[in-house]
Amino acid sequence: MSSIALVTIVSSFLASAVEFVEAVTIVLAVGVTRQWRSTLIGVLAALVALTLLVVVFGTAIVLFVPIDVVRLVVGGFLLIYGLQWLTKAVMRAGGARAKHDEAAIYEREIAALRAEPPIPATGMDWISFTVAAKGVLLEGLEVAFIVVTFGASAGMLAPAALGAAVAGALVLGVAVLVHRPLAAVPENGLKFAVGVMLTGFGTFWAGEGVGIDWPAGDATILALLAGYVVLALLGVYIVRERLTHRRLRMAVAGPEN
Amino acid sequence: MRYVRAFFGFWYDFLVGDRPELFLGPIAALFLAWLMVRANLPAPTTGALLFVLVTAVGGLSIAWAIRD
Repeated sequence: MSSIALVTIVSSFLASAVEFVEAVTIVLAVGVTRQWRSTLIGVLAALVALTLLVVVFGTAIVLFVPIDVVRLVVGGFLLIYGLQWLTKAVMRAGGARAKHDEAAIYEREIAALRAEPPIPATGMDWISFTVAAKGVLLEGLEVAFIVVTFGASAGMLAPAALGAAVAGALVLGVAVLVHRPLAAVPENGLKFAVGVMLTGFGTFWAGEGVGIDWPAGDATILALLAGYVVLALLGVYIVRERLTHRRLRMAVAGPEN
Repeated sequence: MRYVRAFFGFWYDFLVGDRPELFLGPIAALFLAWLMVRANLPAPTTGALLFVLVTAVGGLSIAWAIRD
């Protein structure tokens, strides 16, 4: 297996694992509070829709769009998306944004679901179906986006899909075993790592798309990833310092009135 | 018409959201890199500039966010 295929699998696995953890929280909340059968049918419907999306769009892009165009447009999207993840991760790590807390989200979901109308005595519970399908579809769309963009830019759609499928199976398997939200998964750290990966690969491929002949070829990716890690950590430090100074200034100024 | 609006609304939220600088910034950075490639500037310089511009966009976005 080539190193680029391995990196594609790992990146897709990590990014997908984060999204699947979020989807599992919603599915567990619906299943536990309402009806498992309708919830699982909703999950299945969403998974079929997502698989079709990846197969249709991924294959169409790989087969019919020239690789330079794919790298510019799709690599550009990957860069934009990666930078969004990375900046949010930096702000979370620096304390400027609330960290993702699956246990709290789970409790909120359960409280919202208990306020819904009662479960029908027979047949489908459409509330379970809709909430589970919507949750998996929305979180899964991010997985599909990453698989298609990452896979198409690297010409590695199958490895990207494999990474996502393994992540899905693993997260689902663990959730079934422990039967509660996977709050112990270091989601914020994973998001930081994925943000660096998407930004690094997005820069590389979109750069190739505009015609940059990277001096060290594929090895440039490592330099880009290292550069983004260092600068992101520096960003975390600066955000923390800024917030600490601001809090100190406010404490010294005292409460108004 | 409602579905078309919802479709584009979804993608707008997905890619742009409340931080348009993170959508427009990388596009502007890639456009500048393309101009430098067209001007036959050395690849290491162009690549380094793209990296710096992307980092600057991210840094500015964070600075604006924490200022608010």
